[in-house]
Amino acid sequence: MNLNSMVHPVYGLYLMLIIGGGITAVRAKSLVRALVGLIVTLFGVAGMYLLLAAPFIAFMQILIYVGAVAVLMFFAIMLTRTSDGESGFEDKAVDKTYRSRGFMSIWASGLMFAMLAMAVVRYMPRAIPLKPETTMAQLGEFLTGPFVLPFELISVALLVSMAGAVLLGFERRKAK
Amino acid sequence: MTQILQYLVMPLVHIVVALAAILTFIALNGLILVYVERKVAGFIQRRPGPYEVGPQGLLQPLADALKLMAKQLVMPRGADSILFWAAPLLSFTPVAICLMPIPFGPNLTGWNVNLGILLVLAFSGLNVLALCLAGWSSNNKYSLLGAARAVAQSVAYEIPLLLSVLCIAFTTGSLNFADVTASQSHGLFSWNIFVQPLAFLIFFIAALAETNRAPFDLPEAESELTAGFHTEYSGMGFGLFFLAEYSYMIVVSAVGSVLFLGGWNGPFLSGHWWMLGKIYALILVMMWFRWTYPRVRFDQLLNICWKWLIPLSLMNLLGTALIINLVR
Repeated sequence: MNLNSMVHPVYGLYLMLIIGGGITAVRAKSLVRALVGLIVTLFGVAGMYLLLAAPFIAFMQILIYVGAVAVLMFFAIMLTRTSDGESGFEDKAVDKTYRSRGFMSIWASGLMFAMLAMAVVRYMPRAIPLKPETTMAQLGEFLTGPFVLPFELISVALLVSMAGAVLLGFERRKAK
Repeated sequence: MTQILQYLVMPLVHIVVALAAILTFIALNGLILVYVERKVAGFIQRRPGPYEVGPQGLLQPLADALKLMAKQLVMPRGADSILFWAAPLLSFTPVAICLMPIPFGPNLTGWNVNLGILLVLAFSGLNVLALCLAGWSSNNKYSLLGAARAVAQSVAYEIPLLLSVLCIAFTTGSLNFADVTASQSHGLFSWNIFVQPLAFLIFFIAALAETNRAPFDLPEAESELTAGFHTEYSGMGFGLFFLAEYSYMIVVSAVGSVLFLGGWNGPFLSGHWWMLGKIYALILVMMWFRWTYPRVRFDQLLNICWKWLIPLSLMNLLGTALIINLVR
């Protein structure tokens, strides 16, 4: 038994977290439980980054997605409480479009899965279980060197969405 | 075989021992801080504080702890049973991880990680999530209001907190607590509180808000929301939230003393005594604030953050980056 084979049980654990969280997120009746499932999935993904020897990205995943994005989603759920019932519950019996929506979601996620699977099968890299750690300096050099264009594009997209949110807020205020 | 011993068994033993030591530290601290807080409150309000149980009331926290453990656990009707009990656990567990990378002395680090600061910031963010879950699953409007306040407050104050910590990361060039401590070992004026006074001020205010301490204790505000997010918790459910709050005070004070007050550096005494002294000094300042200032209103709370702390910390960060570039 060598050290590299120790990676497999850990990989399995993270995989279980990701898939279990995903199933909870889809199947849960209450929106908050679905959100908790999503958070478990995000933790699993952070673990995968750790296995890929990129602890900076793993901690950032927890800091940003779990600590900020999930919490803001929670805020949105709390603010959208319906007037006649509990917040965040989906009534299956009443909704007539339930079946067709299920079909559409399976179709969409299947398409996504097929695309990702094709990319992975085509460009599968050789498996390296234990790599040296990717340092922050290396990440910085990558982001400001070969990946500077996508990096800037992402920041522009974020800026646009932020400006849009501010603009929407102003319009809402004028209407009052 | 030796490889497994070296890379798997030894670190595991190290981590387990460190975790046990840290949990003991947290539990003892809980007892001490409860007593200290009540004595400080009594002193500031010119009353004796606890003095009946034991000499000078020293056994009062033990009696409190026994009472909390013996109380019945009650869950309100219509509460989400899983999330209701998961919330206090989720609030308390990250504390142990947050204290792991902090150097309490020259050789007293639980787990020396290169990205220690980031680790603490990432896992301390889980507390908000726990507060949200507690508030939502209690099925009670006061709890829900407390949770909503907790989210707005902590999301807002996390920004200046991160920006002020980033200033230190810029000047030190590292996210490792040991490196930050080492950079402040050249006498009193190499401490970051003198290099970055504004960053320390912003860090401390934001940390008070992140730990929900008065004057920023709006998520629990007894006088308006009964007890906010933990209204419905009894016995050890409440006990865990309480312990978590005091433990986050320790985390924040420990991070503050390492980042700004020179960590375990200091003359005459050995390092861990200095570190302990600095942590408790910061905690006493927090208690002093709590019993001196009235609670702020919610719009005031958010205005302080968005109109003052965030612009100031952004300017501080830009200034730091500029100076570092000029010096190089």
